[in-house]
Amino acid sequence: MKLNVYNQIMAAQASRRGLLKGAAGLGAIAALNGAGLGAFTRPSFAAGELDTELRKQILAIPGVGKGQPTDADYRKVGALCLDGTKEMVKEGELKGVELTFMGLNNQNTHNFLFRGFLHPWEEYTGAKINWIDLAQADYNARLQQAISTGTIDWDVLEMGAPFEGDVCGRGLTSEVPDWVQKAIDLDDYVNYLKAPVGTWDGKLYRVSIDGDTHNFNYRTDYFSDPDLAKAWKDAGNKSEWGVPKTWQEVQAVTKFLKGKKIAGQDAYGYLDAPKPWGGFGFYFLGSRATAYAKHPDDKAWLFDVDTMKPRINNPAWVRAIQDVIDALPSEPPNQINADPNETGFAEFLGGTGSMVVWWGDVGAAAKTSDSSVVGDSCGFSILPGSDDVYNSKTAKWDKLPGGPNYAPNLAYLGWGIYVMKKVDGDEKKKKAAWSAAAHLGGKNIALWMSAYPSGFQCYRNSQHNIDEWVAAGYDKAFITSYLDSQFNSYNHPNGAIEPRIPGIFQYYSLAEDILANIFAGKMGAQEGADQIAAAWEKLTDQLGRDSQIKLYKAALGM
Amino acid sequence: MNQTVPSGQAPFVVADAVAPRRRFFGHALLAAATLVLLVVALLQTLDASGVLAIGFPNWRPLLYAYLLWAVALGAWQVIVRGYVGQRALFVLPAALFTLAVAIFPTLFGFYIASLDWNLSSVEGPHFNGFRNFVAMFHDPYYWNALLNMVFYLLAVIVEYAIAFGLALLLNSEIRARKFFRVAFLLPFMLSPVAVSWMVGKSLMEYRFGPAARLARDLGWDTPAFFANPWTARIAIEAMDAWVSIPFIMILLLAGLQAMPKEVTEAAKVDGANAWQAFWRVTFPMMLPVSVTAVLIRIIFKLKLADIVINVTSGGPGGATDTVSSFIYRVYRDRSNVGYGTALAMFYLVLIVIFLTVLLRVTRRWTRSVND
Repeated sequence: MKLNVYNQIMAAQASRRGLLKGAAGLGAIAALNGAGLGAFTRPSFAAGELDTELRKQILAIPGVGKGQPTDADYRKVGALCLDGTKEMVKEGELKGVELTFMGLNNQNTHNFLFRGFLHPWEEYTGAKINWIDLAQADYNARLQQAISTGTIDWDVLEMGAPFEGDVCGRGLTSEVPDWVQKAIDLDDYVNYLKAPVGTWDGKLYRVSIDGDTHNFNYRTDYFSDPDLAKAWKDAGNKSEWGVPKTWQEVQAVTKFLKGKKIAGQDAYGYLDAPKPWGGFGFYFLGSRATAYAKHPDDKAWLFDVDTMKPRINNPAWVRAIQDVIDALPSEPPNQINADPNETGFAEFLGGTGSMVVWWGDVGAAAKTSDSSVVGDSCGFSILPGSDDVYNSKTAKWDKLPGGPNYAPNLAYLGWGIYVMKKVDGDEKKKKAAWSAAAHLGGKNIALWMSAYPSGFQCYRNSQHNIDEWVAAGYDKAFITSYLDSQFNSYNHPNGAIEPRIPGIFQYYSLAEDILANIFAGKMGAQEGADQIAAAWEKLTDQLGRDSQIKLYKAALGM
Repeated sequence: MNQTVPSGQAPFVVADAVAPRRRFFGHALLAAATLVLLVVALLQTLDASGVLAIGFPNWRPLLYAYLLWAVALGAWQVIVRGYVGQRALFVLPAALFTLAVAIFPTLFGFYIASLDWNLSSVEGPHFNGFRNFVAMFHDPYYWNALLNMVFYLLAVIVEYAIAFGLALLLNSEIRARKFFRVAFLLPFMLSPVAVSWMVGKSLMEYRFGPAARLARDLGWDTPAFFANPWTARIAIEAMDAWVSIPFIMILLLAGLQAMPKEVTEAAKVDGANAWQAFWRVTFPMMLPVSVTAVLIRIIFKLKLADIVINVTSGGPGGATDTVSSFIYRVYRDRSNVGYGTALAMFYLVLIVIFLTVLLRVTRRWTRSVND
């Protein structure tokens, strides 16, 4: 959770009335989550398995509403969660070991927390940690250059799953030992973070500390507005006015809202993010495409697994691109120059538009950010589905017997802790590195990190215990709706998994440049998609097609 | 011993007489250092290419060999050439430093440009000949960026005209002249990245930006500055101009202040009106300063990237892309080191040719003025 989000949650506690104002809308959200969009995937866990007293104790540090946690708080939490370490390591056993840990220093989170959590671990084990702090913008370049030039100067690495192809795929990481696997309780992970994520050739290399997925954020006031409902009927629509459940409905609503007003303001429907964003913008087209392109019978959705032939120019992706082209004229006039950051935070949270797709950050900020004006009128669900889904094997559109096809875009897959293979030659160092990783990836620390500003979101089923969140001071209706949209995506049986192949952001970045030209009207959807496919083929050849095929299969667990 | 000639004649230095043994020692020292340098370079290259498995951890041995060779070269100058050699020592460190940090990297850059080197490639870099340059000629996005640069370069003329007007204004007897001189310089003191956010992403923001509101008040219903190719180009150029016009202005102002007032006064006495005095006297006399200011501005303009990257990412549809912002994406987002370097090297060659031609053309103008 981000620092500003946390601070604003604190502020929100002072205004329960404000929270309750949104309760009616949230009731509708709960109904939507429960009835239509994947309640079957809601996680279950046995609270009795957890150390409830310890969890209650750490959640009280510093306590919701008692200000921003400090390094002293991180240390307290780290010390209280040290039992796992004590089971495997004797006091002072790792004295003399020095580890180098490379991670981010975004917004005083990530490494800042790790330092505090690991301080009592260092005191207990006797090991010492040296830190390499990186800004997120420098991360990829630092990582790639070190790998490319053979100058890896860290032992423990905080890394996002999309980079696993570059690192694990090259055999640079150490396999997670059995004792660590038991200590971190892998079964508690949400489904999509279980193997094959974190694994290569069947071996596990990652200790998860975060989860990521795109969910669907919408305005409840739009979809309960009687004037818009009447206008919708007057326009000849046979369906009821309500929250779109498929992309076909999203398109229809977006076009319908053009020129309409709500509360005296211009009404808009879905907000696309056409402006390139360092490769990350491609995830947003991906979220439009997964319901069309991710068939339940096929793990792959971006490339053919046997040939790495891109699917970006198949009818499913072209339909998604065409959807953007068709929707843009109905979106705000400057939408062509809106990147995901502007779309999610400046526009949607600022009151422009009624539907947007984002990671959990937008939902988390909706009620708590100073710049958000939609806190009482924001609902969440998994991504919309599609009435039909493209079957790449038969080259036909299928209508599924169970109704629309839903396929959450499990974009980025969250951060994890990895240990480099170079420590394998030194058993003591290896034990120290994995002990540190297990400490950070522990179940109880996970709860604290998702409840307080950390930069990390939920990734364990045990984090879905609403009572714990409410006891810590969160509003029940809000947190239930929000967490459901996350967990129903994480645990969805047809989730679209990040390809995790080397250079994946190069594919995304190349696509962004061409998509920008398509959206600017320089070429059609099919022509542009063919260009992306050609560029991707060229890149695959440059990176090594056989190697990419092998790694793509490994990434999909095939 | 050096000997100088009497005053009034050109100074010259007579070389010391150097003993043959000393000369031999000097040559031997340099030869030995050169041999060490070449051997270390060869061994490191063979090690890096995998032909020999020596296990150098890095390229520092070659750096140390180069430093040793540099010292030997200096010693050789003194030993073999005596006082003349000592004089060379004043220049040699700078020359060797330039060789190490400017000339060698440039040549090495051309080598990198000949590699197929993507940082994510499992196989690593391999020689690619001229294929990166061939690919560049078929890359519409690169040529689109180059074409955009033509627009940005032409806009320098407008920037120059505005800067000249402001310089004339600040050179005249106006109230609070000193204040305005500082005030007009302020944009130049701002980081282009700050300008990108303050102006491009705040003042010109579509929904609540003051510039957008003003545009609405003036009758533009949808003031989306960056949604249309031409408005986006002009908006980017306006921001860049706002930052850089003060730079041109201050150079021109310095030129105006250095200009002898007698000339303009004489023109007035001869009956020239304000326009004639400017066009026939001030402007021609300012040509050397103008050419310098415009050339420096062009060099800066050719590197335009930060505002584009921050505000539009080159969009919409590549309308505002510059060569530098495009190379930035190729290099940073796509880790395509070989191709990105090839694009940069070709651009460097283009810039050198362009500026050489420009200097020759403008030299004629300035010469005719001075004559």
